[in-house]
Amino acid sequence: MQANESTDRLRSRYQRKMLEIRGAFEAGASGSVTIAARSAAVDELVRGLWQQAVEQGGRLASGIALAAIGGYGRQELFPYSDVDLLFLLDARTAEKDVKDVIRRLNQEMWDCGIRVSPTTRKISECDRFAEENAEFTVSLMDHRMLAGDTGLYDKLAVQMLPKVLQREQKPLIERLIELTRIRHAKYGDTLFHLEPNIKDCPGGLRDVHVCGWLSALQWVSTQKTEESGSKGRNGSGAEDQEFRQAVEFLRLVRCFLHYRHERDDNTLAWQAQDAAAKAAIGVAGNASKEMDAAYWMRLYFRHARSVQRRVTQMMEAASAIVKASPRLLGLRRGPKAEQRQEGFRVERGQVVLDAVTESVEDPANDPSVVLNVFATMARTGCTLGREAEQRLSQALPLMSANLEEGPELWHKLQGVLTGRYAGNALRAMHAIGVLELLIPEFHGIDALVIRDAYHRYTVDEHTFVLIDTLHGLEDAQTGAKAEWAMRFGALLRELPHAGVLYLVALLHDTGKGRSTGDHAQESARMAQSVLARMELDAYESGLAVGLIANHLEMSAALRRDIFDAETVGAFAGKVLTPEMLRMLTLFTYADINAVHPDALTPWKAENLWRLYMATANYLDRSVDEERVGAQAENELVHRVAALLPGQRAEVGAYLEGFPKRYVRTRMPEQVRRHFQMAQLLGEDRVQLDFRYSPSVSELTVVTPDRALLFANMSGVLAAWGMNIVTADAFSNRQGVVVDSFRFTDTFRTLEMNASEHEAFLKSVHNVMTETLSVEKLLSGRRRGRRKTPKVVVETRVEFDDEASSHSTLLEVVAQDVPGLLRALSLTLAGQGCNIEVALVDTEGETAIDVFYLTKNGAKLEKDEERVLREALMQAMEENAR
Amino acid sequence: MQKIEAVIQPSKLDAVKDALVEVGIEGMTITEARGHGRQKGHTEFYRGQEYSVDLLPKVKLELVVLDEMVDKAIQAIMTAARTGTIGDGKIFVSKIDEAIRIRNDERGDIAL
Repeated sequence: MQANESTDRLRSRYQRKMLEIRGAFEAGASGSVTIAARSAAVDELVRGLWQQAVEQGGRLASGIALAAIGGYGRQELFPYSDVDLLFLLDARTAEKDVKDVIRRLNQEMWDCGIRVSPTTRKISECDRFAEENAEFTVSLMDHRMLAGDTGLYDKLAVQMLPKVLQREQKPLIERLIELTRIRHAKYGDTLFHLEPNIKDCPGGLRDVHVCGWLSALQWVSTQKTEESGSKGRNGSGAEDQEFRQAVEFLRLVRCFLHYRHERDDNTLAWQAQDAAAKAAIGVAGNASKEMDAAYWMRLYFRHARSVQRRVTQMMEAASAIVKASPRLLGLRRGPKAEQRQEGFRVERGQVVLDAVTESVEDPANDPSVVLNVFATMARTGCTLGREAEQRLSQALPLMSANLEEGPELWHKLQGVLTGRYAGNALRAMHAIGVLELLIPEFHGIDALVIRDAYHRYTVDEHTFVLIDTLHGLEDAQTGAKAEWAMRFGALLRELPHAGVLYLVALLHDTGKGRSTGDHAQESARMAQSVLARMELDAYESGLAVGLIANHLEMSAALRRDIFDAETVGAFAGKVLTPEMLRMLTLFTYADINAVHPDALTPWKAENLWRLYMATANYLDRSVDEERVGAQAENELVHRVAALLPGQRAEVGAYLEGFPKRYVRTRMPEQVRRHFQMAQLLGEDRVQLDFRYSPSVSELTVVTPDRALLFANMSGVLAAWGMNIVTADAFSNRQGVVVDSFRFTDTFRTLEMNASEHEAFLKSVHNVMTETLSVEKLLSGRRRGRRKTPKVVVETRVEFDDEASSHSTLLEVVAQDVPGLLRALSLTLAGQGCNIEVALVDTEGETAIDVFYLTKNGAKLEKDEERVLREALMQAMEENAR
Repeated sequence: MQKIEAVIQPSKLDAVKDALVEVGIEGMTITEARGHGRQKGHTEFYRGQEYSVDLLPKVKLELVVLDEMVDKAIQAIMTAARTGTIGDGKIFVSKIDEAIRIRNDERGDIAL
């Protein structure tokens, strides 16, 4: 009778206290005050119940102690958190003797509405440490005496536990770090979730606890008394304050969430974000200001970032003390990450800026050095040392003053974007503020939360994950993704303008910062000013803007019937060129992957690849059909005519009849040049334009159409030892042919002898004017040693009568060997075929040559195709010998 | 209650979902699938490599509805998914013994 009354009194006292605490919280009490108050209230209840149990029977009088562990031990009890209790038994007390009493005690607490999480252990068990059980040992670190046998408790707290911690310091630290990393990986190693779990996400309360534990563990061996994690030995005063504020904020938000959901739910879902913003949770100053959820979330991310920074520092410091392997921390060590550069060096995988002296200015003020730092980080995967980070963020204003825009900036930014670890470099740049300095347009999407059921991350993090995905394609992968990595990786390797793709990735969602409807168009608009500031050339700019404006088109096409010719045709009309198609395919692959780790299913990847193939084939097969018309109003005509004022009619006449592909794959300046060359044909029938480069040179010939043109061009190039990489041949209605060849200089003839350029061009000219025989040249040529091919390519010869209405399409796929193109085009001429259009491409060791052919002005007959096939196969065989 | 399984063209998914919502059905499970019936696949050539598509991408919907809703649901799916060409897909109907709502243990018709 008496016991029950007592229990009721204790219970109602506790519940009253809970209401008071909640009231105080809603009136503005801090999270720390709230959780301490609840802890005290539970203390009172627990001690009261224990006392009752002791008075009722002697079982609890000695040999057993009750301790608070975990969060309760730290006196941090959130409104609906579990209460962790440890029933500690000495050697003489058997568990079965006290089982009933303990069960009754727990039951009474459940009846009070408390979720108890009880553990019963003999004291000897606390001495044991096993890796799987590390969490128990860690929870013991937060022990606090509640009731019972004080002698027994002291044995644990004063004698046993410190010895265990000292003895097992290294494995404990390693296990703690490992568990933390696993937890972080579960959340994508980022704190930028749209609906973060404020306990378990990186930068959340769990990480705060980890800081405390690591701090305690680190100093165990030197036997200094532990200080709480917030008074970090290694932090500056300002950093400590920042960390403390972050902890306060997180505690406040967790209390808010608990009270809102009335259970231990720590997810900051959208509605909770709205409510928190409305109540101005954690916002100092005037709560009267209207705050929207996106703004409030940025506050959250800022605090979470402080915590993440602190926990990362502590994990590094702790692992250094126990000399754990770098892999434990997940640090990437690129090839020989130690190096010295102007203004900084890389030591043990971290960037260290040179010291400021009287004679040398602070390298942090020099944008050139700063960008070099990040390019090095992108290339090698090294990280920013803490001091370097501080100096860089302090130097921002001066850096801003010294920043010069223009092509040099683009060149340096490319260095960052194309590095294997670009994502990490960009995240560091973003965190410090350097990224927004270079690209103010990025400010609008900083930690931006978009209400979208599919996306997992904030818009800026999504961008970085996208870039990581693209770079990931460069690595060999295992498992399900291996095949896709190979196929899409091949596309990535062949891109002539990879830097543009990464720039597109960086800018594509900046438009989401504006709340207007179509973010793709908005991003394209914003990109234009970025491109202008960095002075990208017209072709790269056009490519970038086109890609950004259309970056959703492939995803959209995937939702339609990808096997329907109309879908493919419509999509092809948006991408227009093979290069843009490849870039958009890669972008779409990475974009889907960056939405959510599970978003890119093999099903989706397969469909993406199919759409890519279908569109690539469509583009090649429609070249002959889509030609520039006679109307001078044409957009393509206009692009070139704008550069030649007053000659619009002549430009229109020149362009009429060319496949649209010709104009789309050239810069307007290039087309202008060809036009001007065409105007001079009266003086010299063979007009040449040669652009030399040590990597890939380009030679274009503009000349009236005649037999053996293509064969002779490829012949003279072969005779000079040039290896053709890509080529195309187009003709207009007036019968003017534009043949362009891009090639590498196998024997480095032109590189080593400047005078040979003249001789080379003269030779080409003479062959084209038929004053010099190609056979003669070829017979005297150097023959390189035939390399054994790394990949053996099977020869395929395919005809397609449907692709064009007036010509036959021929596709030849073969091993890329010198003289191949000459052999093919000579055979075609020998069989009386006229080349209307030629598209020559190389992919690794594979040559892909597409010709649109006519014979006597018409398509080829079936038996003509048969004869031609045999002739081609034979010619290729002979050439290969 | 009965279970309706429908295998449809992926490009029809949005239309079918909308049609079902319109007749009052909101719960369904959707799976990415591959398959074919009499519709044969085809072969795509790309850069000299042959890529054959034997199993075409499809989407499978599964929904469990009250007996009186079955006809409405089937009609909605048919109208939204039909193009009249081979490859439109199929619908299967089977009987369901029991339905349970995990959150609160409701059983039977009210669990749907």
